[in-house]
Amino acid sequence: MLDRLREPWTDRRAGLLLGALACSVLAVIVFMLVFIAIKAWPSFAHNGLSWFSSKGVVDQQLDAMVNSGPNPTSADYQLGAWPLIYATLLTTFFATVFGLIFSLLSAIFIVEFAPEPIRRVIVPVVRLLAAVPSVIYGLIGILVLAPFIGNSVISADQKTSVQFVIPLSGTGLGVAIAVLTVMITPIMIAITVDGLHSIPRAWKEGALALGVNRWRAMWTVTVRAARPAIIAGAVLATARALGEAIMISMVAGSKGFAPNPLDGFTFFFEPIRTLAATVVEDAESINAPAMQASLYAMALVLLVGAFFLSLGSWIAKQPLKKYGTRS
Amino acid sequence: MIDPHESTARQQHVTSEPANGVMPPPVRRITLDRQPTVALPPSQDAVAIANAGDRSLAAAARPARGIAGPERMTIDGLSVYYGDNHAVKNVSLPIRQGEVLALIGPSGCGKTTLLRTLNRLTELTGSARREGLITLDGEDIDSLEVTEHRRRVSMVFQQPNPFPMSVFDNVAYALREQGSKRPKKKVLEPYVVDALQRAGLYDEVSSNLDHPALRLSGGQQQRLCIARALAARPEVLLMDEPCSALDPKSTNVIEELIVELRKELAIVIVTHNLQQAYRVGDHVAFMYLGDLVEYGPTDQVFDNPQAARTRDYIGGAFG
Repeated sequence: MLDRLREPWTDRRAGLLLGALACSVLAVIVFMLVFIAIKAWPSFAHNGLSWFSSKGVVDQQLDAMVNSGPNPTSADYQLGAWPLIYATLLTTFFATVFGLIFSLLSAIFIVEFAPEPIRRVIVPVVRLLAAVPSVIYGLIGILVLAPFIGNSVISADQKTSVQFVIPLSGTGLGVAIAVLTVMITPIMIAITVDGLHSIPRAWKEGALALGVNRWRAMWTVTVRAARPAIIAGAVLATARALGEAIMISMVAGSKGFAPNPLDGFTFFFEPIRTLAATVVEDAESINAPAMQASLYAMALVLLVGAFFLSLGSWIAKQPLKKYGTRS
Repeated sequence: MIDPHESTARQQHVTSEPANGVMPPPVRRITLDRQPTVALPPSQDAVAIANAGDRSLAAAARPARGIAGPERMTIDGLSVYYGDNHAVKNVSLPIRQGEVLALIGPSGCGKTTLLRTLNRLTELTGSARREGLITLDGEDIDSLEVTEHRRRVSMVFQQPNPFPMSVFDNVAYALREQGSKRPKKKVLEPYVVDALQRAGLYDEVSSNLDHPALRLSGGQQQRLCIARALAARPEVLLMDEPCSALDPKSTNVIEELIVELRKELAIVIVTHNLQQAYRVGDHVAFMYLGDLVEYGPTDQVFDNPQAARTRDYIGGAFG
């Protein structure tokens, strides 16, 4: 058997073996999806579409599940997860938008304007930053950023204005978005830089030779042509932001609360908890069947969300292909 | 355990000997049932033309020389260095309106560098350094805004490089980028059509100006690049081996185009193809290892070169 593997591989054998490997990955994903869906079913069955709505206080509902014992009734399954979904959407959206702006501008600087010595330093550093474990960002967020905001940025007026709704301590939406942005920007920069580099030099030179300056040539030709790569980078980063759990759990205040945009700037100081953070924090109570079903339901929502994210990026890239090199 | 070398050796062994004693296929004789068609010997005229060299054919194909107009650009004592490499050495040349200046010479002799310097594209290379004076209509080009200068002195590259946009957007690109406000498509259309017509491409693309430019053929792409340059109404057009990536038919179309365009523009063309230089050039400059060896009217350079190196190059002694 082993001797046969030592022989030179035919293309047919290589194709079959690698195909089996690739299919096994697919099978694992499908199995995971089905498993989670089955486990999550009781939670959706008892709540219906109101699972996605805001009913009651989500933290109280989760606490009730822990105490409901091994044979929960339908009332114990009650959950309105909207604050968690809302928090997930808010953090992911803002972090992606800020990250996209930062990363695109930095990538343009690196590719087009940075002097060679700076470029030689900045590119490896960015790649290094992309590999920093997120818990380190979380540590800095909770030890440095949150106390600073809690003590120096949030005014006493802001604290009293919402004191009967939610206490403001520093940890909250704003810190979560800031730390999340810092976390996902390096990988977006790295992918965008690669994307911009892969655009043929001849296109840029063609634009310059027509009397366009480098800044305009960058935007009108290079960035335009690199849009698929930029989207790919953004989606990868968004997926990371969507699933980030530990770091958010550290810096976001860990309250199942839906920040109210009508509160003005205080909005960004209000504590939140995302779906992923909830799964991490409540995983220890998983022995309670109601809690287990609820956590699996949250996981399913995240999984389906990530799937739609990929689908969305694929759809967004379709019109860009028309004038590209791929026909 | 099977040694991989052994197994390959065995395979070779099998292929080199007829398996199972099967005999090789019998040798078949080819018998002719009629006389083979023999190419006719070349006629006297053709022999005469062939003996006179390729150029007499080229001469037959070439149109009348252009009438030299006023001098638009002057290169005076130009030297370009890439780091320690002295790529262009003290070159002085005039570029006149209404005629085509052909730069010839072997690879790596500084032709393209010279051309890119005229458009100030060498400034994009960090290590490049320039000495000497280049003027456009009497003005030092360094005193002009670089974007303004490149609009007046446009360039067509060796590889067709249309942008990944529609045909229309490609041609309209320079027009859109010139103004601070983006003009409407309706306003741009006559200019775009005019540029495409001047580049001889309009008839082929008129039915669908929204067609992706990258799906045109190579020759069409190059003419699109010429149209894109012409749309900005340049005064000097620099062409860096514009036909080297193209088939003979497209080359022919573009050469006719060059001859047509020289009426209103000053054209500088770099070419490896001596016949092409002879066909389209009004003046020829021969460069070798960064030096300008010879400059003169095309007929004189080709028929009666003054320098020995020019004679050797044109005669095909080196390339």
